[in-house]
Order: sequence, then C-alpha cells, then structure tokens
Amino acid sequence: MATRVGFVIAGVRLLRRSFVAVFSTAGDMFHNSSQKKYWIFKSEDEIEHMRNKANQKFRNKALESGKPGVSESVFLQRHEEDVLFRHYERRLLEFCNAFKPTMPKSVVGTALMYFRRFYLSNSVMEYHPRIIMLTCTYLACKVDEFNVSCTQFVGNLVQETPAGQERVLEQILEYELLLIQQLNFHLVVHNPYRPMEGLLIDLKTRYPTLESPESLRKTADDFLTQAAMTDAGLLFSPSQIALTAILNSASRAGLNMESYLTQCLGLKEEKETLSKMYDSMRRMKTLLKKYEPPKLQEVNISKQRLERIHAEFASSSNKRKRGYEEDGHVAKEPRLVEEEWTDEDLI
Amino acid sequence: MDEQGCPRCKTTKYRNPSLKLMVNVCGHTLCENCVEMLFVRGSGNCVQCDTPLRKSNFRVQLFEDPTVDKEVEIRKKVLKIYNKRDFDFPSLREYNDYLEQVEDLVYNLTNNVDVENTKLRMEQYQRENRDVIQRNKAKLTREQEELEELLLLEQQSNEQRRLEVLQEEQRQLQAKRKNKQALLDELVRCTCCMAVCMCNDKSSDAISELHYDRCSMSDRQTVSLQPVTKIEDVLYHYRPLQVETYGPPVPELEQLGRLGYLNHVRAAVTQDTAGGYTSALACYRAIQDAFSGLFPLKG
Repeated sequence: MATRVGFVIAGVRLLRRSFVAVFSTAGDMFHNSSQKKYWIFKSEDEIEHMRNKANQKFRNKALESGKPGVSESVFLQRHEEDVLFRHYERRLLEFCNAFKPTMPKSVVGTALMYFRRFYLSNSVMEYHPRIIMLTCTYLACKVDEFNVSCTQFVGNLVQETPAGQERVLEQILEYELLLIQQLNFHLVVHNPYRPMEGLLIDLKTRYPTLESPESLRKTADDFLTQAAMTDAGLLFSPSQIALTAILNSASRAGLNMESYLTQCLGLKEEKETLSKMYDSMRRMKTLLKKYEPPKLQEVNISKQRLERIHAEFASSSNKRKRGYEEDGHVAKEPRLVEEEWTDEDLI
Repeated sequence: MDEQGCPRCKTTKYRNPSLKLMVNVCGHTLCENCVEMLFVRGSGNCVQCDTPLRKSNFRVQLFEDPTVDKEVEIRKKVLKIYNKRDFDFPSLREYNDYLEQVEDLVYNLTNNVDVENTKLRMEQYQRENRDVIQRNKAKLTREQEELEELLLLEQQSNEQRRLEVLQEEQRQLQAKRKNKQALLDELVRCTCCMAVCMCNDKSSDAISELHYDRCSMSDRQTVSLQPVTKIEDVLYHYRPLQVETYGPPVPELEQLGRLGYLNHVRAAVTQDTAGGYTSALACYRAIQDAFSGLFPLKG
C-alpha cells in the first residue's frame, strides 16, 4: 500500500476539483519514484518491442505444450492484440466512470496505467483482459486509498446476479497477486492531474499575460483523458503531459504561451532544453492523433479468436491462487462447469 | 516449606511458613503460638505423650525431624559429662570403646530404652571421674577462647585494610582536583595558542587527566611521560540535502503566501486548520508535482 505520512482528510476539497489532497514528505515525488526509474521508456519502439516479446513468449509456450493441431495461424497478431487491448481499455474507462460511489480521477488513471503496464510483458492470449481490467481497478482503489469493499466493488457489475458477482470477485482475488507481481511491486503511479492543477495555479500567479487560465481547464482535461489511453504515460513524465495539455488547449484557443516557458520556467537561456521539450510535446500530440477507437467488427472477430485460444490453451491445473506458484508459470484453469460471464455483463 | 504441621492447630503451619516450630524434651513439636497457648493455662503437658513440660524446655527447632532435635539436646547433655578427649586414653582402641559407650547412652535416652539404668550409669560415671571432667572442661574453655581471639584479630585486620583503601581513594581524588586547579591557573596565565588548542580539542580534558594520573603513579612505577598526541579532526558542517528534481525550482513553503500563490487556492476551513493544515501545504504539493520531472533528461 502507498504509505503516506500525515494528513488524509477524505473530503478536503482543496482546489475546486474534488481530489483528496495528501500531504507527504519530499521523498515520494515523481523525480525519485519507481515510475521514473523503471516505467518510463525512451521511445515507442522500445515499448513495441516489449509487446512483441510478450506475444512471442506466449506463442512459444503454447507450441511447447505439445497440443495437437496447433499452428501459428491460431495465434493473434500484434495488431489484433492491440485492437482488443484498446477495446478493453475503453470498457475499463466506462466501468470506472459508471462506478458508484464516484471514483476519483487519480484512481482511474492508476487503473489504466496498471492495465497498460501489465500488458507490456504479458499477452492478452494468456490472461484474458476482461478479468485483468477488473483486477486493475480493484487494486487501484486499494492503492489510492479509495475505500471500497469488495462486495461493493462487484456490486457495480449491474448485469450480474449476486452469484455471478461472487464468481467474478473470486476471479479478481485470484489474479490480484499475479498483477502485483507483474507490476514488479511498483504500485505508486503518478498521474498528471495534480501537476495540471499546480500549473494552473502557477499560471494564475506568475503569468498575467494569460487572462483566464480556467478557460483552458476543460480542454486540458480532455487532453489528459485521451493521453491516458495512449502510451504517453510510459514515455513522458506526468508534469510534461500536463504542460502539453495546457499548451495544447492554449494554442487551440489561439493564445501563445511561449513566454511562460522562457520567462516563468526560466528556460530563456536553455535553448537545448526548450527544443527538447517542444519535441516531446510534438511526439505526444502525434501519439494522441494516432489513437483510433477500435472498430466493432474488428473487435468481434478478434474476440472470437481470443476465446478460442483461451479455451484451447487453458491448462487443466487444479484451482490454485495465481501468482503463488514458484516456477512462474501461471495457468488459467478451465471453467467448464459454470457459465462464463461475458463482456456484456459489465455495463 | 514444611510438610509437617503443628499437631495442635494443624492448619497454621501450611498457611504461615514463617511460623517457627518448637521442640521439647519429649521430642514433639509445637508451633510458637501453641506453646504460648499451652502455658497460658499454667504448666502444660505434651499433647502426644502427656509428659509434664516447662516453657523453658522448648527450643527452636533446627531440624525437620523433631527426633533429631531431641537427640541433639540429649547429646549435648551427655557430652557435658562424658568429655574425655583422645589424649586421655592410652590407646586408640580404648578411645573408640569409650566413644561407643557414649553413643549407647545417647541412643538409649533418645529412644526411651532403659532410661533408668542409663541414668544410673551416667551418674556413676560422673561421680567417678569428677576431677577429670573438671580438668577437661577448663581446657575446653581455654581452647574456645583462643579461637575467639584469632577470629577477632582477623576481623580487625580486615577492617584496617578497608580503611586504608578508602584513604588511598581520598588521596587520589584530592590530587586530581589539585591538578585540575593547577591546569586552570596555568591557562589563565598563559594566553598563547595552547589555550585555543585546549578549547578546540574537546578531549583535551580527558587526555590531561590521564596525563596527570600517570604522573601521580610515577612514585610507584616509572612511566615515560611522553607528550600525548592530539588528534585533530575536521569540524562537521551541516549541508542540506540536495535533490535533483529535473524541473524548475519550487518556491519555499513559507514564501507561497507572499508570492501570491495562495490567492488561487481554496482557503482552509477552520475545521481543517485545527489539525495543523494550511492551504499553503496543498498548494506546495501541487506546485512540487507540477515542476517535478518537467525538464527532459540531459543527453
């Protein structure tokens, strides 16, 4: 759990947004966090390489298992995996937005980041995203100190009967430890929401050129939400994402904020740093532009193939808690008796 | 502590281990309380054997078994009479025979065997050997006195030694104090770098004390009085922790109000301030987060 010294008052409405302001020592800022050390990558290629590796790993494992009638064509291609990933990511967002009680934005951000990180080194063919997505949300609630009991949590799956909710809960609890392991136990995620608040405060205080920074808030928020659905969180620091969001919304409104960077942030002389920052911002905007919401047809086709793979390669290990096995090989056991819950049961 | 109980009040023994048992000549025990009770109503009889008793006949029990105590008493009385020593007899055999006689008597009296005859024999012996008995008694007392004298002498010498040690300690303390005073006087007079050195070097006091101690010991031993080497060390300077934040500098918490940041932050409600919260704290946190990691890494 994220241990923070001092002061959590649930319901301290500090800024106009409703987020819990937690005061802590300078020890757990982004600059010396595990996120910066281990989960910020140099380029999109590196990330893609990791995903390819995960895909390949599953293929090798499935082929080695020696099941008859298995060929390369059964497996999902990278782009199909991607489609499924994006689809389930949207389901995750919808689930969180419909959550009762209202889930704070930081929890949603954390859950999305967990989801993304998990599938950097694992394949959707091995662990079905519909369970992982709920496990991510559950874990994010715990880590971010958004206190929801497990029954309350599964109570948000409105399409399920109480018995069905129980089954889902069991699955979540099974996968929880595996998720934590695959995250390398790095549970603290720094989201760009608080940096954005900080930048707005700074703008209001030190940058009178911009008349009403508040008007930028809405577009910047949308930018952040969109950015959470891309790999931006794995490439740039949250404050950079926040700055890009604000600059982007300013340029949309036709305002020039370059003097903020040069004067207030003291980058007048630092030409190199300035150019690097503009570069990162451009890259980020490209990432956002590249994002396409998944098409329903593609999704359905890929889903069918996914279900087939899962049914095929589910090993017949007896029910054991995931992640408690020594050899690292964790298998999903077949649920042949009970009826599987489907995506439609979510919302 | 004591398994046997007082035969009269039976229970008291178990409840009160500090209560003493008394034994009388017939060899039966009574606890202190019962002894008192018995003699309140005039002279009493033993509970078990009904022999008439006197209060003075009761002695504090030393042994767990009252018969042992009884025997000890009898033995003491017998040996008062039969007090011949080994050099009184011409041969070892006769001394052993004599001892066996004594044991017979003691046994008879303890176990109430042939008491009359034994007593007669004792009296007869007493009459026959009256002067021998007297002589031996005198010798015994003399020996005891000598022993006591030796003990006394030993005690006295112990006491003397202790006093000497105390005096020695006192002398040392005084010497130390004198030397410290001398050192201070010297410092007052001599205002050269020596004083500065002494002041800086905190351990100098200890060093100089040791030094002087060695001097005072020199009358008993010869110790080379070399100058003690001083260890000079660099003074510690506090340097605050520097953390790389990869971003623009964050204003200090205390400056936030002055710089005008707090105007754009929701003011703290009185309930919040009760716990020590100020709006500056949350503002500081937000600014920190906004600036941390803002600049790209070098290279």
